[in-house]
Amino acid sequence: MKEVISMWKNTRMIILVALSAAIYAAFLIVFKGGIPIVPGITEVRPANVFPPVFGLLFGPAGAWGAAIGNLIGDLFGGTLGIGSIFGFVGNFFLGFIPYKMWGATFGLVSKDDMSQTTNNFKKVLAFELVALVSSAACGIIIAWYLDIVAIVPFAFLSITITINNFAAAFVLGPILLVLLYPRVKRWGLIWTDIMAEEDVAKGFAKTIGSILMIVGSLGGLIVGVLVAVGVAGQQLYGFTGEQGQVAVWLSVLPFLLMILVASFMLSGREQFVEEEE
Amino acid sequence: MDAEIYIDNNSFIHRLDPRVKIIIFLLTFVAILLFENPLWMLPITVLIVAQLVISGALLNLRRIRYILIVLTVSSMILWNLFSTGETQLFWRISLESLSFAVARTMLMILMISAGMILITSTRNEELVNGMIMLGMPYRVGFAISTALRLVPTIVSSTITISQAQRSRGLDLESGNLLERVKKFLPLLVPVFISTIRSTNIFGMALESKGFGAKEKRTFYLVFEMRKVDYVVLAFAIVFMAVSVYFAILGYGQIEGLVRF
Repeated sequence: MKEVISMWKNTRMIILVALSAAIYAAFLIVFKGGIPIVPGITEVRPANVFPPVFGLLFGPAGAWGAAIGNLIGDLFGGTLGIGSIFGFVGNFFLGFIPYKMWGATFGLVSKDDMSQTTNNFKKVLAFELVALVSSAACGIIIAWYLDIVAIVPFAFLSITITINNFAAAFVLGPILLVLLYPRVKRWGLIWTDIMAEEDVAKGFAKTIGSILMIVGSLGGLIVGVLVAVGVAGQQLYGFTGEQGQVAVWLSVLPFLLMILVASFMLSGREQFVEEEE
Repeated sequence: MDAEIYIDNNSFIHRLDPRVKIIIFLLTFVAILLFENPLWMLPITVLIVAQLVISGALLNLRRIRYILIVLTVSSMILWNLFSTGETQLFWRISLESLSFAVARTMLMILMISAGMILITSTRNEELVNGMIMLGMPYRVGFAISTALRLVPTIVSSTITISQAQRSRGLDLESGNLLERVKKFLPLLVPVFISTIRSTNIFGMALESKGFGAKEKRTFYLVFEMRKVDYVVLAFAIVFMAVSVYFAILGYGQIEGLVRF
């Protein structure tokens, strides 16, 4: 996670944080209503395509941009509240996981062509994978916290956020990346063109890190929901009745730790490749 | 749309040091979360309502009344479904679950109100400078303040592009889910491109003025804490301490409440 801090010494990366935050927030504000999937419950917000795209193109600047953009969206939308704190963290991971996992997607992105675009079918699959994992990670981070402070139940919110995030990224993400990558590359604004390789975390056991990230995100979602609805976990963990919620916190916590550990294991350095003149 | 939430009122709350307002905002969050009984939330509710009236933030709350209504209705339904109690009222609703649902709804509305008071009474640059003076690195502060300043511009260009594309026949309202989502592409691409293309020039302009040359920097906007700021801050800390004391003693909970 070294690059998350080291990027702040680079002026262009700082500007990319500001611009991606402003774009994300603007779309959150203008298209606040979204397209309903289940009216009143779940909707596709077109703005949600931006965090994974920003993450892949701008690396850590995209992750910070997504986090700050969501906060500004709350601010301008008048919904700034305690949820905004973990909304910040969740949206950070929504932009962070895609670029960290991109080079560790089990061969879907080949070592010969690490470019952050969806120019072939395998890369489309890689994008959908990282988008799904980051959507679920964002969902469980926010829902776990809001369940702890007893604002919104985990079972409801984790699924809603995951679907909201993933739906837009699933449909729009691959097309948007193909359209935007050539221009951003020409302007020299792909994060691997701006940052120095030594400023990016080395990582270790990246494939295991990738598996850990998937298990942490999707496993946390599934187990958390099962425990929350009382189908499996509550008896298993021995918590019942009034302590029911403790089971949700405790059952999701190991998965959140997995996401954190995986964040240190994954690198992003593999995307720094020598380009032919 | 009007993306400006700050109201130029020069009220007592407007005149407070932004650092005090940020600290009160954070303390308010903690104070709201301490109790699950709506009656015990009344003191903080009174304080927040008073601030809403003094700062003029009620006007802004009115702007988001539909969000507040949706939050209230969904929260009342959800928390009655996800909790129960010993004193049955009707159907799945018990006195305990109803009290809890009311408290959770109050909590959300109060938190949004606290945020609204802060941004209604504090300019963007004051807010960011306040955060920097509280210890946030200035590079992060710069990114936030730049983004805050750009949002209204990008919102406006998004609306312009949206209208231009609609005039060419783009219909965002028709079609199945997949078709409707895909229709947003002609909006997303131009907004992204027109915003990001200025990055290099922006960077050169900043560096030519010495941005990032030193670890510490100076500001045109400098705040000094006045006596009234210290008094307000002391009141907030005492209020918080008393609330925590009662919470530790076990007050403010709902007897017989069972949460799933």
